[in-house]
Amino acid sequence: MIKSILKKALVTTALLTVATFSAQAKDTIVWWDFLGGGDGVRMKAMIDEFNKEHADTVEIQATTLDWGTPFYTKVQTSAAIGEGPDMMTYHLSRLPLGVSSGALSEITPEELAAAGIKGTDYAATNWKAAQVGGKQYAVPLDIHSIVLYYNKDLLKAAGLLGDDGKPKGLDGAANWDAALAKLTANGVQGLSTATADGATLWRIFYSLLNQQDGQFMTADNKFLDGANLDKAVKATTEMASWVKNGWLAPQTEYPASIALFTSGKAAFHINGVWEVPTMVDLAKNKKLGFEWGAVQLPTFYDHPATWADSHSFAIPNNKGKEVPAAKRKLVLDTIAWFDKHSLEWAGGGHLPAFSPVREGADFKALKPNSDYSTLAATAAFDPVSVLAGVASPVYDAAGNFLIPAVSGDLAPKDAMDQMRDDLQGQVQ
Amino acid sequence: MLKSKRAEMLTAFVLIAPFVLVYAVLFVYPTAKMVQLSFTNAPLIGDGDFVGFDNYIRVFKDRLFSTAVWDTVYFVLLTVIPSTLLGLLIALGVNRLKGFTQSLVLAAFFLPYILPVSVVYRIWSWMFDKQFGIAQYVISAFTGGTHVAVFRTIPLFMPSVAFITVWWLVGFNVLLFIAGLRNISTEIYEAASLDGASRFAQFRRITWPLIWPVTVLVMTIQLILQLKIFDQVYLFANGGRTDATIVLVQYIYKWAFQKNQGGMGATVSLLLFAIIIIFSVLQYQLLRSRGEK
Amino acid sequence: MSAVSTPTGADLDALVLPQRRQRWLRTFDLAGLIVTLLTVFVAILWAFPLYWGVVTSLKPENEVVQSGLQLWPQHVTLDAYVHALFETKIGLWYINSLVTSLSVTVLVLIMGAGAGYAISQLRFPGRKVLWWMILASFMVPIQALIVNHFILLSQFHLINTWVGVTLPQLIAPVTVIIYKQFFDSVPKDFREAAVIDGANDFQLLFRIYLPMNWGITTALAIITFIAAWNNFLWPFLAVTSEQVMNVSVGITQVFDAFGVKYARDLATAILAGLPVAVLYLIFQRRVTQAIMLSAGIKG
Repeated sequence: MIKSILKKALVTTALLTVATFSAQAKDTIVWWDFLGGGDGVRMKAMIDEFNKEHADTVEIQATTLDWGTPFYTKVQTSAAIGEGPDMMTYHLSRLPLGVSSGALSEITPEELAAAGIKGTDYAATNWKAAQVGGKQYAVPLDIHSIVLYYNKDLLKAAGLLGDDGKPKGLDGAANWDAALAKLTANGVQGLSTATADGATLWRIFYSLLNQQDGQFMTADNKFLDGANLDKAVKATTEMASWVKNGWLAPQTEYPASIALFTSGKAAFHINGVWEVPTMVDLAKNKKLGFEWGAVQLPTFYDHPATWADSHSFAIPNNKGKEVPAAKRKLVLDTIAWFDKHSLEWAGGGHLPAFSPVREGADFKALKPNSDYSTLAATAAFDPVSVLAGVASPVYDAAGNFLIPAVSGDLAPKDAMDQMRDDLQGQVQ
Repeated sequence: MLKSKRAEMLTAFVLIAPFVLVYAVLFVYPTAKMVQLSFTNAPLIGDGDFVGFDNYIRVFKDRLFSTAVWDTVYFVLLTVIPSTLLGLLIALGVNRLKGFTQSLVLAAFFLPYILPVSVVYRIWSWMFDKQFGIAQYVISAFTGGTHVAVFRTIPLFMPSVAFITVWWLVGFNVLLFIAGLRNISTEIYEAASLDGASRFAQFRRITWPLIWPVTVLVMTIQLILQLKIFDQVYLFANGGRTDATIVLVQYIYKWAFQKNQGGMGATVSLLLFAIIIIFSVLQYQLLRSRGEK
Repeated sequence: MSAVSTPTGADLDALVLPQRRQRWLRTFDLAGLIVTLLTVFVAILWAFPLYWGVVTSLKPENEVVQSGLQLWPQHVTLDAYVHALFETKIGLWYINSLVTSLSVTVLVLIMGAGAGYAISQLRFPGRKVLWWMILASFMVPIQALIVNHFILLSQFHLINTWVGVTLPQLIAPVTVIIYKQFFDSVPKDFREAAVIDGANDFQLLFRIYLPMNWGITTALAIITFIAAWNNFLWPFLAVTSEQVMNVSVGITQVFDAFGVKYARDLATAILAGLPVAVLYLIFQRRVTQAIMLSAGIKG
């Protein structure tokens, strides 16, 4: 054991030394991402593939940083002093905020053309979301959303599984509640989700709000205005009732919420599509003691709608650092490579942004993606505002007000009132 | 004579030069710039316009500022006195032990102190993990079986982080107290026990007054340290309701680094300076009045 | 204590002692025993989180999340450690921590001893003012200077460098104060004798004053080193590149493991704490003595 570790250490050291010396000959791309969970595994595999394919010319040096505020704080601060990476992943929801803080570098039409990136290869709305003020700041990689993971064995036992292997009779808040009540028994809870995580709660809340045609923020910068507030309270009340009735554990951390589902202690699990690989891999290694599936979030209210966001690639505006045109070309070529190879990324549960891949036969055959691909039509993206998006005041507010509301520490009405006031106060 | 005096001066300047240089460049100059920055609306990096006292008004109007002040003071209260008292109690216990047992017991108390805060964070977030944490067995005994997300329950956050901080740092205090206890001559105790003084009386009349200078030292060190709290609070609150448990240094970080408002960050920094100076003066007065007695 | 610990309870009865004193001795022994047991018990409680962290890191991930109390792994595995060693840059982070902490320690001591000696032993204009300023900045909150340190160091392109991590940690007026106090108490005779022998001030400092105060130098070195090694906030702000992070920042900011990863996280944490912990256990006596020496400092 010790010997093999030592050997490995020696080899690693040797490789590192070699790598440092040979780095001169090769171009390197410093890459930052925030991709944890199953996403991280996929992206790492793709980066390895890229590096292998370009073994003589380019090498991506990737660092994965803590998702959300820590990541975007680092990006913003380091771009301001010219210490940012060459490229990075970026949420399109945060693009207006990112551009307003000067952290992003514009990508010109010429540069896009030179790398062969065409707007027509992307869904029109998706492509437009990568622009601010008509200027391109990012290239979309995917569209992602939240889905309902389910334990087929538990659902079957409760008579909630249809012949097609999908859950049945979940639509309508009352039916959903009844299903949770039925599933919660014998040490199993109906639902698990990261109730201690503001971002997770925001995604569910935003879906429920949009299912009632509620607007979180109106075009004239009014938060939860008029009837929207009532709809928000209704959504929050519904979520809080899951905890109150004992169907959902409050204050559960993100990894624990997954562990609850994968260990068979929760029948449903609401989380991003990015955890699909976690389930796929566990099932493949026979470490999942049950059959699982994933479907679009049920329709609680008037019509289907699910929160969605989009991962993209962006180039930081590294102040005081002149990036040679050749380097930018290289970065954009790299971005194009990843989009063209995004079928592999789709293995991580996402819908590829690059239309030739998304509309290809290979993707259409991909399971379980095809089971929830309908959600693309009903996707509800975050408000387009400098106050919204990942690591924005809206996400902060979700952490500060949704968590206590769902866990029962704050009445839903009070939480929404405070959330509205807090955000409205930040409008300039 | 004149020459040697000049030589002495020259030597002195050479000796103090490195310190003075560092002090001027990394303390005096940034502090002066900070004052200037606090009157502008500058981002973290870059220039801004003079805005007078706008930043100060904005800080004082911000609900989060009072939360930060209160949470910082609360944290200081929860750590300084407990870690001092606990340090003394443990030192009294450890001081009775001998040889190998003493080394072993002392190591148990001191080992956490040398760990980086991130390690402490990892170990304790695992101990208190809501689903699988071993501490939940203890918590269940009080709650009747319900697990508690300690770092996500606002009223429990500061006490838990304070508890962990005391666990982490008390070893240092223990050492200082043991040193103090060993300086007290055993003859005094022997004389006292011959007089039939009870153990408690011995502690109250001999140990406590003689250990007082060390107690003051420990409390001073702890006070300086805990007013500047950031690391543990940042790590344990990350991803949750960060606003409810924000402390002053974190508030500076939020303005300057997260919100990219250097002017506001500098303003809060200056206020933290002021708070620390107030505490120092209070502490100094307290010590002086003790000393005169 | 030693007088009572030799005879056991049974022997005590046989001892010819006045009745009152005998009873007193008995209760004394019991109280002492309780205190001792309590101390040992609390020590075990204190060490338990560390033990538990180590045990968890030795378990396979699926065993970690099993219900029930497993105080020892059913299957001991080093998987988590292998992962931490080879899938993270922890080796590099060690080097960064070591280089910056050692630099901080050495520079702080040199500056502190030099300035302390000058203020204690030499006469020069501005001495009083300097001493007053140092005393006044005893409580210097470098954490309150993060904003301007960041701005200043970024102007010199020192963010993401060892120098940038080291510099703000060099403000340590306390070392000057401590050195001055210790140098003050060196008897004047030594100085006079050496001066007659023709020694200059640098020789005095390095041949007499520092060697005579070797203990406090060790103490300051250990305390400064631990503080620098454990520093989180400044390295967290001043480093964005994975290559320059120290251990404390690296293990919480860079993500490497996916899925259920309690054992891996803990293994990484334990590896991060291990080197200094081992050093401490080896040099325990010396560390203890050194730090105890600093208790003599007047507050």
